[in-house]
Amino acid sequence: MIAHVARSGEDRGRVVLQLGSVNPSAAALEAAVRVARAFQSEIESLFVEDAQLFDCAAYTFVREVSLTGRQRRVMSPAGMTRDLRHAAQAARRQLEALARRAEVPLRSRVVRDEPLRALAIACAESGPWNVVALAEPFTAGNASPLKQLLIEIPGTTGLILVGPKSRPVRGPIVVAVEDSERLPALLRAAGRLATVDGADIVLLLIATDEERLARMDGEARLVVDAREDVRIAHAEVARGEAAVIAEALRRLRGGFVICQFGGLTVPEEGDLRPLASVLESPLFLVR
Amino acid sequence: MALFFKRAQYDAPAPGANGQVTTVAARPQPLEASELRRAVDPATLGFKTTDELHPITGLIGQDRALKAIQFGVNIKSHDFNIFVLGPPASGKTTAVKAHLGPKAAEAPTPADWVYVYNFDNPNRPHALKLPHGRAKELASGMVGVLDELRSVLPALFESEDYQVRRRAIDEQFRSGQEEALEALNRKAQSQNIAILRTPTGFTMAPMHEGKVVKPEVFNALPEAMRKDVENKIETLQKELESILERMPKADKKRRAELSELNEEVAKHAVDASLDELIAAFSDVAQVSDYLAAAGRDLTRNVGLFLMSGEEEQNAIVRQPVDTARDARFRRYLVNVMVSNGVSGGVRAQGGAPVVEELNPTYGNLIGRIEHIAQMGTLVTDFLLIKPGALHAANGGYLLIDARKLLLSPFAWEALKRALKAREIHVEQPSEATGFSMISTQSLDPDPIPLELRVVLFGDRELYYMLSAYDPDFAGLFKVQADFDDTIARSGENDNAYARVIASIVKEHGLKPFDASGVARIIDEGARLADDREKLSIEIGRIADIVREADYWSSQAKRKLTTKQDVARAIDEQIQRADRLRDRAQETIARGLVLVDTEGARVGQINALSVIQLGTFSFGRPSRITARVRVGAGRVMDIEREAKLGGPLHTKGVMILWGFLAGRYALDVPLSLAATLVFEQSYGGVDGDSASAAELFALLSALSEQPIRQSLAVTGSVNQLGEIQAIGGVNEKIEGFFDVCRQRGLNEQQGVLIPKSNVQHLMLREDVVEAVRHGQFAIYPISTIDEGIEILTGVKAGERGPEGRFPGGTINRLVEDKVRSFAERVRGFSKGQGGNAADNSGGTQ
Repeated sequence: MIAHVARSGEDRGRVVLQLGSVNPSAAALEAAVRVARAFQSEIESLFVEDAQLFDCAAYTFVREVSLTGRQRRVMSPAGMTRDLRHAAQAARRQLEALARRAEVPLRSRVVRDEPLRALAIACAESGPWNVVALAEPFTAGNASPLKQLLIEIPGTTGLILVGPKSRPVRGPIVVAVEDSERLPALLRAAGRLATVDGADIVLLLIATDEERLARMDGEARLVVDAREDVRIAHAEVARGEAAVIAEALRRLRGGFVICQFGGLTVPEEGDLRPLASVLESPLFLVR
Repeated sequence: MALFFKRAQYDAPAPGANGQVTTVAARPQPLEASELRRAVDPATLGFKTTDELHPITGLIGQDRALKAIQFGVNIKSHDFNIFVLGPPASGKTTAVKAHLGPKAAEAPTPADWVYVYNFDNPNRPHALKLPHGRAKELASGMVGVLDELRSVLPALFESEDYQVRRRAIDEQFRSGQEEALEALNRKAQSQNIAILRTPTGFTMAPMHEGKVVKPEVFNALPEAMRKDVENKIETLQKELESILERMPKADKKRRAELSELNEEVAKHAVDASLDELIAAFSDVAQVSDYLAAAGRDLTRNVGLFLMSGEEEQNAIVRQPVDTARDARFRRYLVNVMVSNGVSGGVRAQGGAPVVEELNPTYGNLIGRIEHIAQMGTLVTDFLLIKPGALHAANGGYLLIDARKLLLSPFAWEALKRALKAREIHVEQPSEATGFSMISTQSLDPDPIPLELRVVLFGDRELYYMLSAYDPDFAGLFKVQADFDDTIARSGENDNAYARVIASIVKEHGLKPFDASGVARIIDEGARLADDREKLSIEIGRIADIVREADYWSSQAKRKLTTKQDVARAIDEQIQRADRLRDRAQETIARGLVLVDTEGARVGQINALSVIQLGTFSFGRPSRITARVRVGAGRVMDIEREAKLGGPLHTKGVMILWGFLAGRYALDVPLSLAATLVFEQSYGGVDGDSASAAELFALLSALSEQPIRQSLAVTGSVNQLGEIQAIGGVNEKIEGFFDVCRQRGLNEQQGVLIPKSNVQHLMLREDVVEAVRHGQFAIYPISTIDEGIEILTGVKAGERGPEGRFPGGTINRLVEDKVRSFAERVRGFSKGQGGNAADNSGGTQ
């Protein structure tokens, strides 16, 4: 949605926020609200009650192990329904408070389904200009679940993610630029996000060699022109190392990071751990 | 003593009811005009203008007080504080400051004091003593250290070296946990078991092709297979429990390792930043200890430097918050309580401080612990401890007005507590008094040792009251510096007075005074002293006259201030304040208040009273009347009966009774009843200065001899009939004079005053002029007999050898009346029995 909306000049879209049995990250909720506010769109929160949990609960010999590992509990479908309802209500209250403060329209619903399918259905219903926000911090060792998500939900233009270290931080909007052609659209998206709190924009140019980096720099300066709110930074020549890029992003202490999926920053099949271990700000991953 | 009337137009006495009386043979002698005012002859002063005089910076005629101050300042004992007592505006404070100044300048400069955070017990801030002038150095040094660390530490923690080491620790933990969970997940998948997250934990279930098997499908499986799955799940759950239980321990270990790393990295930077300060204060052990503790705390709390402050986060325009205002670093700042010897970065002149606290409230004196509202709660810390005057004056002198001190709640007790304990303990007044209604977070700072000399200023009444009622007072204020109100009048003192005027002229940059102007001020000094043999040393009032005279001199475009300007200044001062006097005069002139100034009346006399309005006072005549009759033997003081009379007035009336009984009823009962009243007096009456007038009215009533209404009387009387001195004699005479002049002076009018008050006469020049021209008279009297003769024109009479007063004299007439009353009472007793006296008819 966002990048597309920004490119097409349309004003509105929808942020579909997926909530589930895992306690939502406050940073993820704030990021979803911020994006919705920046693009004057609404949030549709979708609490998915994973249908498989009810199958588990129906087994008489299956127990639930507490998060501390110190307790076991007999499960039941009714108990599971109650727990999930409570979790949904808590998440909804938290989100409503944030949305009200930001004056962002919010719709909430609860569905019982397989999570990915539920998300795909919701996005299909809402139209093509969707961005999916995941409330659960990503910890996966590789990016394949993200790829799967983008494949299964074709109408989605981007993902909003937070890492395990995410927290509400203030800082510039950092755009990880790997392809100059995408720069104007990404810059417009960054500009919209920056309007929320007047943040500056930093373009982090990423390339595998010096020559390409220099060319990108020239192109970026043409695009940026005389804008005082935008500055250009260079990552060290990455040579495909995600850890180097992750460190460059950390040093910029961004309040939001925008990058494209499938590049050097977030490779389609690469390891997300370096990024997850340093990134404090939300990540807006554009398809 | 017989007095004779001077003037030819003397009123003949009116014949009384008792037939012929013996008139006085000659006129009583009033005072000469020269006796009414002691004026300075400008020619005797020996200068033309004040420019020729050397100003006097100190005081004149206060040797006793100045010696006491000298003693109080020089003595080393801590409890020899000074109480300076004397009238207001007598230059007490100026004199004390003038004496303390040089002494304080020679004294060693006291130490500086600061409060710093107590890292072991934050509620008990430490007080540190530093050599004078170094408190601010320490405070700015700590801000410098924090500034440096604010830039150094984030850079250090951003460095590649640190980040690599930190990531290693994080990864060690994360990989351990995640790998264990992932391994368990892989193992479960290999056994076709799914692990899922629930809202409150984890659960497991049999899986087929990545999906949880439906229970009905699973239940259709052979029992052995089902049992096998159940066993696998049970085993996996145990493994999961084991992994999850290890997580907090591992996380704790991770945090400990991270903390260790942080401290290691921070310590180097903190030590380097503090090095310079530690070296600079190596000579102050307390400061060295504090800096070491601060270094340890900085190292432990390095995280403070790696986050942005709350104010920075909330700021509309984000910019780094000044370190001294940044809430994160408050505990490392230094609260300078006392800084001596440095002013604006420049080492100022040393010496002990001389501090005058003009508003000695508890907080201003002892210091206060302020609070700030935070999330609806009042909180405080050591930086909110504010110094008081005791801190500022520690090691020197503290000057306080005693009345203000006593009027400030808790302040006096707090000052005594500090002086006794010889330390300043800053605490809330509510805590000090044990009366705390609101429980707020507060502090118990280290007390600061106190070594100072307190100088209290107050009037005598206050001093003696404190001596009588406060048992601590005498022990703490052992030096009494008693400033006199007046000095004796002499040529030498007149000259010194002139030099004081010269110093006022110089101090205020006024035009010089010529000798006539100075002489007129000296005259006024005597008038203010209420005594022509004294000069008032109320320097404040004299200075007011001097400055106002300068103003009028300027208005008259004179280069020198002269007698006319001084007289104008005094007149204008009076005019500004005499609205009530005018009203009083007006009521008499219009006949609203009945005061006769001619003719003669039995049992009626003009008494004189003084009304004080701030610094201005004036006299006013009042009519006193007396009536007598046969009675049980008492004088009814109507003022007292109406509860308008004060105790002194009542005492005066009782003395009259003693006089009457002693003189006229030695061998018969005093069987008369008399009433005395201040006519048209609607306020309180006190003092005994009208007792002579009251007695004259009584004698007139008893003798039935009329009193000349052209005369007024002031003076108190004793039981022997002697006239005693009273206060305000000048104002009283002038008050009656003004009434007479308004009605027209007829050469019969005058005032009887106690002879002992003649020395106090410093009358207005117009009164003196009237006396000089025989239009008005002042009669000094020393006995009742002298007075009654002047008032009635009838001889008072002395008791003869046979024990009786001569016939036709006042005393004889009175005695006869008293005896006749006694006879009548006896007649009633024989004829009717019982107490007939009260039912008898009255007579005048």
